[in-house]
Amino acid sequence: MADLETQVVVVGGGATGTAVLRDLALRGIDAVLVERADLGTGTSGRWHGLLHSGGRYVVKDPVSATECIEENMALRRIAPHCIEDTGGLFVLLPENDQSYGDAFVEACAKTGVPCEELTPAQARKREPQLAPNLSRVFAVPDGTLDGWKLMGGFVADATVRGARVLLRQPVVGFERDGDQIRAVRVRDMVAGGERLIGCQWVLNAAGAWAGQIATLAGGKLRMAPGKGAMVVMVGRYVRGVVNDCRMPGDGDIIVPVHEVAILGTTDVETDDPDDISVDPRDVDFMIDSAAKMVPAIATGRVLRAFSGSRPLFKPEDAGGDSRDITRAFFVLDHSERDGPGNLLSIVGGKLTTCRQMAERTVDTLVRRMSLDTPCTTGEAPIPGAEHGLHRLADPLATVERQREYGELVCECELVTRARIEAAVDEGTTELDDLRRQLRLGFGPCQAAFCGWRAAAIVEDRRPGATEPLANLERFLEERWRGQQVTTWGDGAVQALLNHAIYRGIFDLQPERESAGAKQVADAMPERRDELRVTEAAAEGES
Amino acid sequence: MRTDVIVVGAGPAGLAAAAALAEAGRQVRVIARGNGFTHWSPGAVDVLARAGGEPVDRPLDGISRLPERHPYRLLGDEVLRRAIDGFQRFVAAAGLAYEGSLDQSRRQVTALGTLRPTCLVPAPAARPLAGRVAVVGFAGFRDFSPTLCARGLRDAGHQTSVHTVELPTWKHERNFTAIDLARAIDDAGFRGRLADGLGRATRDAEVAVVPAVLGLATRHEAWADLERRTGTALIEAALVPPSIPGVRLYAVWLARLRELGVRVQLGFPVTGVEVADGAVTAVVSEGASRPIVTRCKEVVLATGGVAGRGIEARRDGSLVETVAGLPVRGFPERVDYLADRFLDDHPLGAAGVVVDAGLRPLDTAGEPALRGLRCVGGLLADHDPTAEGSREGVALATATRAAERLAAVPV
Repeated sequence: MADLETQVVVVGGGATGTAVLRDLALRGIDAVLVERADLGTGTSGRWHGLLHSGGRYVVKDPVSATECIEENMALRRIAPHCIEDTGGLFVLLPENDQSYGDAFVEACAKTGVPCEELTPAQARKREPQLAPNLSRVFAVPDGTLDGWKLMGGFVADATVRGARVLLRQPVVGFERDGDQIRAVRVRDMVAGGERLIGCQWVLNAAGAWAGQIATLAGGKLRMAPGKGAMVVMVGRYVRGVVNDCRMPGDGDIIVPVHEVAILGTTDVETDDPDDISVDPRDVDFMIDSAAKMVPAIATGRVLRAFSGSRPLFKPEDAGGDSRDITRAFFVLDHSERDGPGNLLSIVGGKLTTCRQMAERTVDTLVRRMSLDTPCTTGEAPIPGAEHGLHRLADPLATVERQREYGELVCECELVTRARIEAAVDEGTTELDDLRRQLRLGFGPCQAAFCGWRAAAIVEDRRPGATEPLANLERFLEERWRGQQVTTWGDGAVQALLNHAIYRGIFDLQPERESAGAKQVADAMPERRDELRVTEAAAEGES
Repeated sequence: MRTDVIVVGAGPAGLAAAAALAEAGRQVRVIARGNGFTHWSPGAVDVLARAGGEPVDRPLDGISRLPERHPYRLLGDEVLRRAIDGFQRFVAAAGLAYEGSLDQSRRQVTALGTLRPTCLVPAPAARPLAGRVAVVGFAGFRDFSPTLCARGLRDAGHQTSVHTVELPTWKHERNFTAIDLARAIDDAGFRGRLADGLGRATRDAEVAVVPAVLGLATRHEAWADLERRTGTALIEAALVPPSIPGVRLYAVWLARLRELGVRVQLGFPVTGVEVADGAVTAVVSEGASRPIVTRCKEVVLATGGVAGRGIEARRDGSLVETVAGLPVRGFPERVDYLADRFLDDHPLGAAGVVVDAGLRPLDTAGEPALRGLRCVGGLLADHDPTAEGSREGVALATATRAAERLAAVPV
């Protein structure tokens, strides 16, 4: 007997899963989304924040390029408040293969990616920090995308239509009846115990973890996760995205997101999507690569480094390394592959195309369900869209306009007491979850001042609900990950000053932290390894 | 104007060294980038809270457990005793009383409700925590939560009540700081109005814990006045920087230096020294438009460790002493700078210049690296001020030793 009944269980609370949930809700199909941690804690929280124009893929992966530009336009319609319309440049460095310039222009035309050539002088007027010796420069409609805001909007739009979201409830098994899945078994990491969700269909949107989920369901699916490391700089350096104009490769992009610049990326095939370590040599490489485009980055202050696992899928007959795997996506119907009969997996793709991925997946599903409800997710705006495009200065303008908005708790990211109180009142008490929802502690001081202020607000609003110091220590230790590979210069000064506050003034001792770490480990057994030594930041856009 | 000694750095070590040298009759000038750790640490004198990872009940007992090259072991207990005695006499004369002694570690209440181990505490932090404890915050002040502080004290077995007192009307920024509030409390009128609300909140308590903001420019007078008016013992809890008790201490140090005729130049980062025949002859600092060269006979380098910018940690794992390029042992790679966990001890925290018992810098072979220069405070190798809880103790002891040695040399 199931504890919960629904038509469709969606596995995975990343960009794809939440987009699928919204698509189902808009088509009137009842669904429950299950997520092992919090929304956007996997790959969707560990990326550079680029809203692709498609320019990166025009030459090498044209299918992907067209998907990107279509979705770029769709997201501007439905979720403008999640987008900063920064624009982007592709800069041809003198050391690059110069014939790539013409190939790029031609491929943009073929794939439908708008592209305008600027003179190097025009380009430097737009981006004064650019290197002085560029051969050619092309402008494309890149932007930046706040993935957490987007996922939050998808979920809000879906739940208002009756969809349900179960967080911190990893899938531990499937109940089958012949080749049909009858129910999904999840473990409740907060309340304890297990829960059985009866369903007719399962949509596997677990991204880089989709292979693990499909295997658990009795299917066969081998993912080829590509680990990508990124470096976060203090300050933006550039107004818009800057791309190295060459075949896609390591260290080819600078993305200005909120108050920071993110340098990306590497691509290493890995067996374990939970491996989020960062190699210090990759950090050096990305700084040096980005500095070819924007020289000031070479001597700038690095905030942190982090990595995420691309949900890459290598069709059985394809060869090559991780970089050669297509960034396009696939909907796999397991009834045609390896059983079970009512499981679909959505693999590959990228955050920019999450809505389209959901559309194709649910199209396949409704066909299998013998329905013909059309998809409307590309036209209907999500809650919050009425604000229009996000501008960098919006948070400051809001703080200045509304006195009652309250005092600043996190000065780096302009997070106010009122916003934290509202989030706590809605039930979020884990400081690290508040971080993702509100950007608390993302800035240059890395939670030196806001961390304990937020712990106090949680205790004020929900006395006794948490052990405040353990909560604070989990947050601080989470912020610490990825520091070893990026700490020198001013960053080292900041690290020791923060240590002087929390260890020196407040006398928090590491013994207590081990208890905090243990709690996290117990809550997420499959991620215990993350608490190991050389770990990178669990980090998204900064 | 003749300058005998230039002290580089205006943290506790630099200020103490400058005062001691001036008292010994030397012409002293202090040149510094800006304020030092007085503004960061909570105004207490930490001597030795932990040794070998274990808490220390009597600071002097823990010294034998420290590494052999630790400044305390280089100097010996007697220097530390003289330094602490000298500090006690100085603050008492300045009207900024401290309590405690080297015979017993003390505890200082913090905003988190923890009890940090230290040695000497300013009088406003020294009242015994006993009986019914009222924990009182001030409405709108971000850096103290009575709820959180009381929760910690309750967990430690104290009987607490939680109160928030509205501040009297005052002109202030929406997001005001501890400094703004402390200045307001210096005003007798404001303080009188505040005392009414504070008195009501503390009526049923033996002692009240409040944020450390009770006046800035009036030594401990605002605190004493509020105790009188409320009839309750008041304990100032340590806050995040900027530290009001630390700024009070800085202010009396600065007043003492002025009295002694010491010129203090803040805002002039020292970028180098001039050397002739292996000895320092001048200090080079950054001026508004050009480097400024100041001649001197001796230099006391009190620029701090990595946190104080006395040492720069580079991307390749090397460490550079920023003024004289003194030898500093680096690390094979930068990933060795920091521990795996934030709250652990970090190797970088103990990085510094190796010195002899006279605090003269040594090169890697153990030979004198540069004459006419002595190193004090956080700049020294083989001690970690944060992990050991030894910041002010090492600063005062090394400043005392450096001043004694320099004063022994005829001018």
